[in-house]
Amino acid sequence: MSLTDLSRWQFAFTVMFHMTFPAITVGLSIFLSIIYAAYWRTKKPVYLQMFRFWRRIFAVGFALGVVAGAVITFQMGLNWGVFGAKTGPIIGPIIGMEVVTAFFVEAGFIGILLYGDGRVRHVTMFASTVMVSIGTILSTTWIMAANSWMQTPTGYTMQNGQFVPTDWAKTIFNPAFIWRYPHMLLAVLIAAAFFVAGLAAYYLVKKRALGFAKRSLSIALGVAAILLPLQIFVGDSTAVNVTVPYQLSKLEAWEGNWTSTSNGYTVFEIPDQAAGKNLVQITIPWLGSAIGAKDLSGNAKTPGLLLTPAADRPNMAATFWGFRAMFYGSILMFIATFASIILRLRRRLYTARWFHKFLLWTTPMGIVSILGGWTVSEAGRQPWLVFGKLTTAQGVSHLAPGELVFSVIGFMALYLALLVAYIVYVVRQVKAGPERDDPAFDPGTPPEFTPLPGDITNPMEGALAR
Amino acid sequence: MMQTIWFLVILLCITMYVVLDGYDLGIGIGSLFERNRASRVEAVELVATGWDGNESWLVLLAVALWGGFPLAFGAILPDLFLPLIVTLFALVLRGASVEFISQSRNPSGMWLWIFGGSSLVAAFAQGFALGNLTSPLHLVNGAYAGSAFGSFSWYSVLLGITVALGYTALGYGYIKMKTEGGLRLRAAARGSIVGLVAIVFGILSLIGINATAAPLDLSTPGRAIAFWALLVFALGGAVMAAITFGRKRTTRNADILPFGGLVLMTVAVIVAFTVARYPVIVPGLTWQAAQGPRNTMVFLLVGIGLNVPLILFYTWFAHRTFKGKRVHPHTGPAHLETAIVGSSK
Repeated sequence: MSLTDLSRWQFAFTVMFHMTFPAITVGLSIFLSIIYAAYWRTKKPVYLQMFRFWRRIFAVGFALGVVAGAVITFQMGLNWGVFGAKTGPIIGPIIGMEVVTAFFVEAGFIGILLYGDGRVRHVTMFASTVMVSIGTILSTTWIMAANSWMQTPTGYTMQNGQFVPTDWAKTIFNPAFIWRYPHMLLAVLIAAAFFVAGLAAYYLVKKRALGFAKRSLSIALGVAAILLPLQIFVGDSTAVNVTVPYQLSKLEAWEGNWTSTSNGYTVFEIPDQAAGKNLVQITIPWLGSAIGAKDLSGNAKTPGLLLTPAADRPNMAATFWGFRAMFYGSILMFIATFASIILRLRRRLYTARWFHKFLLWTTPMGIVSILGGWTVSEAGRQPWLVFGKLTTAQGVSHLAPGELVFSVIGFMALYLALLVAYIVYVVRQVKAGPERDDPAFDPGTPPEFTPLPGDITNPMEGALAR
Repeated sequence: MMQTIWFLVILLCITMYVVLDGYDLGIGIGSLFERNRASRVEAVELVATGWDGNESWLVLLAVALWGGFPLAFGAILPDLFLPLIVTLFALVLRGASVEFISQSRNPSGMWLWIFGGSSLVAAFAQGFALGNLTSPLHLVNGAYAGSAFGSFSWYSVLLGITVALGYTALGYGYIKMKTEGGLRLRAAARGSIVGLVAIVFGILSLIGINATAAPLDLSTPGRAIAFWALLVFALGGAVMAAITFGRKRTTRNADILPFGGLVLMTVAVIVAFTVARYPVIVPGLTWQAAQGPRNTMVFLLVGIGLNVPLILFYTWFAHRTFKGKRVHPHTGPAHLETAIVGSSK
């Protein structure tokens, strides 16, 4: 394993760990805004209960996402110093915009969202929750602009080996961004919906906190029912409008063919990258033509990876299986969503126990699909960092083997431990249940805002209170 | 011109980070010496509302360097690899521990130790990394080509200790300002001592840097005057903190001046160091040599520069919302949110 490979493994590992959290917290923050608005309008205690329960799941996930995200920024210089120096004039300012328009907004209002409940006015509480969710969406926007520029670089010129911006509009609104941004945004919303639906289904199965569970399930599956069909269209459009014209090698790798003779869809394979063939492969005839080229006659052949020169080929196994994780995950979610619509129309959404048990299994499916999707996106872009312009091997820092091994092992140990800790935390919170968040259940936290001596009713007035 | 303004933005980021995350990490270090479990939990809750924003200044610092001075970003970070990786490990663990503790009704002792320990490690590693900036940078074709331990020196260790002490003093100042009872009294007693030791180490660091490869440059009268004038401010802040830190009675001055004096001292020392070292970032690389292209500078100044007042507002807002003394937590079965009162004075 070369030093570049070590840096790649470290980056893959840290970015995957990071992505696990935004995959649910972006959607959860919006979910929290909606629930708080519902509570503010209706004053129904169940909404406050939902707000408090989901906020506890959100809080730790958000914090882990924040700290793991800071690591990514630093790695651009630590492990990828040459890449950092060459692309800094373009990617630096874009991530900079993320920091000032997203991180600081989130940080400024997260304290109120987490600890201001019952201490600030409803309007302040609601505004803070909305500000946090706006922050998470803006964060998604900038990060997708930066990553998409690496997929389809536009609006720059080369000077002294550096990418120098010439047209910021073209740089930010690059061809990949136009489709990948909505694709990602829908993905995180759907992932959060299934996360919420799965945990809510647990209480329906256990016959606990039914009011809480029904409402959470209903909102989550309603969101999925609207967004999932949209996502199928946007996902397909991303492949057609971005991958095919700009990064055909990525598509060749994810379809899993070496030669360009197949009209089938490969559902399983073990590729041999060096030999340029598949060791094992299960392919359903005709389906590839239908899905890929929308050609129902079965005459369209899928392009194979041999079309790309050997030196420019991405790793087929990683790209293929990343795509399958995303695709199979979304099929499961599609089945669940379809079933939910039927059950809702037949008024059996809250009583179909087999369905609730099925939903338990789809709880992490959105996250799995997103991680799979990013594997396609990043492994499929190889051997390039900036597609067609700068290779991964050229962009890496020349570090000493010892320090790299230390950091790779350190991050793996640290992140695995934290992942386990988070899962244990969520499981404990779920088992403890939302009952204790019911305002009627807990006399220590009044459901209505009642100013106590010394409370601030409005943080802006806090200055005057002293 | 543009890169000078951007350099000032970077200086602002450094200063904001050191002051804000300084008190934040310092509270963590101080919590290691609390025997009482409730006091240690209280220390965590003191930073729970602000740590995220405080740390954002570090990320902004990194990104401002990346966009505005890409060559410096690409060369310095690999040079500081080990201390920065250790800093990141510590900050990740620390952020996780804060939320695990504050979201739990009965936080485990393990997370409390992790909170304190990672604060100490992060503070020392940051100082250590800063100290490395006095060792020459090995560049080949503008890219880093050094070795893992090539730039470590006794000065890194000295600055590591200084920064850890300085942060701890800031932390005690903040605790004294924000709490009541035993925690406040212990902060007053310990803060006075730690503050004095930090000042001694600060002076040693100031003298010691002249024995490194990056001595202070006071060759022109302007530099020398600015440098010594700033040190007078630092002295003023130090005296202010030294006089008021130990005062036990709760008065406005006794609460605010220890922290305020330390902040004044910290800011003055940072700016003084910067004045005396400009334009050298690290021996072998200057700000001018590392600056980014014009189009990037324009975007940075407009897009990010104009946001700076806004993010200063957010920082102020987040601190203002939870201003005043905290009421003692865990007085009932209620969750944390009932424990935080905006202003009781």
